[in-house]
Amino acid sequence: MADTIPLAEARSLVARARAGDHDALEHLYRVYEGSVYTLARRLTRTAEDAEDVLQETFLEVCRSLGSWRGEGSLWGWVRTIAASKAMMRYRREKLRETDQLDDDVAGNRFAVDVPLRLDLESALQRLPERTRAVVWLHDVEGYTHEEIAELMGMTTSFSKSQLARAHQRLRRWLGEEAIT
Amino acid sequence: MNDMRHADTEELLALRDGEGTAWTRSHVDACAACAAELYRLEQVRARLKALPAFTPPRERWSVIGPMVRRERRQRFWRGAVGLATAAALTAVTFVAVRPAPSNAVAERAALARAMARSQTLEQALKAVRPDQRALNGDAAQAVAELQDQLSRIDAQLADPAAWKDRDGGRAVDLWQQRAGVLGALVDVHTTRAAMASF
Repeated sequence: MADTIPLAEARSLVARARAGDHDALEHLYRVYEGSVYTLARRLTRTAEDAEDVLQETFLEVCRSLGSWRGEGSLWGWVRTIAASKAMMRYRREKLRETDQLDDDVAGNRFAVDVPLRLDLESALQRLPERTRAVVWLHDVEGYTHEEIAELMGMTTSFSKSQLARAHQRLRRWLGEEAIT
Repeated sequence: MNDMRHADTEELLALRDGEGTAWTRSHVDACAACAAELYRLEQVRARLKALPAFTPPRERWSVIGPMVRRERRQRFWRGAVGLATAAALTAVTFVAVRPAPSNAVAERAALARAMARSQTLEQALKAVRPDQRALNGDAAQAVAELQDQLSRIDAQLADPAAWKDRDGGRAVDLWQQRAGVLGALVDVHTTRAAMASF
């Protein structure tokens, strides 16, 4: 999403929040609450996980307001914190889903899974958590593969291959024909 | 050019993202199937962007807001203690290196008493755990004003160059003021604790 508040207003809001204005902090929360929660829902497994990421993100935002230089998008800064918090959950939980996906798909482009006719929302949710995160961060949020690799502590090749494999799966689950 | 194979998904995604190779571009221009696949990938991205947003199921600021306040109070007190320690060292150094006038001994003793009282009250304040007490509106306002006063005094103590040449007794005054404000803060919190116990 694009930033919902102009830069000048964002600077003023952050300056007030840094000075201890609690109303400004709440306003900051209200502005980005929905966007952070939506991002968190796309990057995590459950609604409860997303709520945790929402909370952790805003606590970190309030702690770190001084590190926003007032030059780039405030939403971009908040979003990076939210994505990092979501990624930290992967590391904590030591998810293995992506490895499983790698094994399933390796060596055969279209052999995995019977064709389904899911809607896009259901198909997206069916993807393994970290693979879904790559798709969302790249295709929706506009992160580069380099940025995703840094965020996830993986390689750029990993991000590219995950994106490609995810799109192959989505095609099958959406019931769309593959080229032959 | 060898067009015996189709472009794979990774190559088509790179092309979609403006990073494709010359071969991929050339192949897609000539291959209807890969052109259709590229269009499909573009459509999937557009549809992903159009998915509806989620709304948090519960009001969360009522949880996050108090946590933020508590963290800020804790940081304030950590900062105040650190600043006061630095200020004490500065003031002691200042008094110790001054030429000894006739009242220097008395002034030094007064400073030591004010600093000791301030430090005792600071420990007493920490002991009542102010960061863990919810205050009503009037008490919270009083505490906020006292904390502001304390911050101003600490700022002056931390910058003795601004007043030491004009007023040698200023350090004693400031430390006495500091002890007074800390005493008031202890009173507010201990009164609150006593009321809460009924």
